[in-house]
Amino acid sequence: MSDLAIQLTNVSKHFGPKVAVNKVNFQVQKGDVFGLIGPNGAGKTTTFSMMCGYLFPSEGSLQVMGVSPSTPGALKGRVGALPQDAVLPPGWEVGALLMYWARLSDLTQPEHEARGALEKVGLMEAWKVQTQALSHGMAKRAAMAQALMGRPPLVLLDEPTAGLDPRIAAQVRQVIKDMKGTQTVVVSSHNLQELEELCDAAAILDKGSLAQAGTMSELTGQGAEFRVQIARGDVIIPEITSLTGVTDARMEGPDVLRVRFDGQAHKAEEVISRTVGHLLQHQVLILGVSRGRRLEDRVLQLL
Amino acid sequence: MIWAAELRRAVRSGRAIVLLGLYSMFSALVLLVVGFVTRELQAQVNAKLAESGGDSEMATQAAEQMRQGVLGFLASNDAAMMEALAKVPIVVLIVFKITLFFLPAYIALMGFDQVSGEVGPRSMRYLTVRARRSSVLLGKFLSQATLLVGLVLVIDLAIFVYARILNDDFAFATLVLNLLKFWSATIVFSLAYVALTTLCSSLFRSPAVSLVFNFILLFVFWLMDSVGRAVSEENLLRFLRFLSPSYYSANLLHPKLAEFAVSGAAYAAFAAVFLFGAYGVLRARDL
Ligand SMILES: Nc1ncnc2c1ncn2[C@@H]1O[C@H](COP(=O)(O)OP(=O)(O)O)[C@@H](O)[C@H]1O
Ligand SMILES: [Mg+2]
Repeated sequence: MSDLAIQLTNVSKHFGPKVAVNKVNFQVQKGDVFGLIGPNGAGKTTTFSMMCGYLFPSEGSLQVMGVSPSTPGALKGRVGALPQDAVLPPGWEVGALLMYWARLSDLTQPEHEARGALEKVGLMEAWKVQTQALSHGMAKRAAMAQALMGRPPLVLLDEPTAGLDPRIAAQVRQVIKDMKGTQTVVVSSHNLQELEELCDAAAILDKGSLAQAGTMSELTGQGAEFRVQIARGDVIIPEITSLTGVTDARMEGPDVLRVRFDGQAHKAEEVISRTVGHLLQHQVLILGVSRGRRLEDRVLQLL
Repeated sequence: MIWAAELRRAVRSGRAIVLLGLYSMFSALVLLVVGFVTRELQAQVNAKLAESGGDSEMATQAAEQMRQGVLGFLASNDAAMMEALAKVPIVVLIVFKITLFFLPAYIALMGFDQVSGEVGPRSMRYLTVRARRSSVLLGKFLSQATLLVGLVLVIDLAIFVYARILNDDFAFATLVLNLLKFWSATIVFSLAYVALTTLCSSLFRSPAVSLVFNFILLFVFWLMDSVGRAVSEENLLRFLRFLSPSYYSANLLHPKLAEFAVSGAAYAAFAAVFLFGAYGVLRARDL
């Protein structure tokens, strides 16, 4: 078995003349929490749907847990999925529905699984509620619960926290964090702060094309840049640039110094200490140092 | 498994019950009208005979003749079938024919959204990561079929009980035998239409469109059958009737096993074609 949970090779999806996903390549390592990032209409849901076998790619190929998702029945027991915009079938009580689905997935203890999953998303009180009577947020959590049942090795969550109140959203994030390491999770969201907190790696999509994919530290440049918040004093840029390891330095606004360095050849702590020491020697007072840049900044820069 | 769950849901949803109510009301109406008309005819014939001074023997003869005429029409003048059906009250036969004619529409109403109702709102997506699309389809089809088997039994039973109350000479053994015969005939007949409804439901995202399309297909089949029968024997159009499921319904009550088997096989073939079509469509489509 390879270490890859998901592999997309030149995957495209057309809806008539509309190209929803355009020649996308990326890979998801087993055990990672992987983020799919992109504005509305970027093709996140379409990509998810192809991974779940709902849609067939127009071109290219996918491997999900070592199988092609379009093979009938191949994903059974391997994947739990929270599809976006899929309505829960009406006329069921939540508990009964989850038990039915658990049985379809061949889980040995359907009731135990269903209760456990509902508890994880904090929806135990809805066990006896009819699906059509659930609010949007509750329906979303019930749908999330069905993706968690049986602890499948791969969990695909399309915007799991969208439309949830902050407390519940935090609970959902905790559920995702708990899966880290033992299960592979792919999650999409508009909330970049949330993804930065959760993910080990991510792919950034824009208008159907892949803008960048990589580990979170690659995306945020953790190992290649830092910022210094200046309180008082004059920074002499050429002196900073001439420090060992530093490749570029400039002021971002009146009191933020941004420094880039060669992260391959030099350790971050050494370059940062050297720079800060230099500043202190020259009577520059410092309010803070932050490594890398916000994922948000990277995304805004790319799109 | 899908079969059992879908069946439970269908029974709970109450649509089947409402439709059953409507359908039995409709059958009862037909029963009453047909019963009334035959009685009136009988009375008129009797009156005419009385006027012309005929005796009661002639009256029974005339009634028998009329009966034979109707029977001949219903059984396409097939002697063996006429004989076999002679013991069944004519009212039952007529009502059976008429309800059989409307059964496909009933099936369409019952199951038009079995697949399209799940593809449209995408609730199908929760199923397909757990089961093959073919299993989902088969489960839906079987639950509809099971429902129908039950409903048809209820209706057939009601008709026969009614006939039994009216005609005391309708022996119990004959009744049970014929009930089984009519029931199995109806099942064979309707499975093809259940499959057709499954196919129509798989073709479209919108349940309403699949219902309309289903009715259009039923009409086209009826037209093909009618045109095929109506045109002369040299006309190429006559082969059209062989393509329509309703063409084969005539022999479903045939006493000879071979004739029944041919009809049954025709319906099974239609059911298979429709089901495979539905699978082909569902297999290839985006959900
Ligand atoms: N079934 C469909 N038919 C036509 N266009 C579609 C369909 N599904 C998605 N699209 C288009 O594909 C693009 C990507 O959609 P989607 O994957 O849902 O984006 P996201 O989930 O990132 O917001 C959008 O422009 C959308 O309009
Ligand atoms: Mg989306």
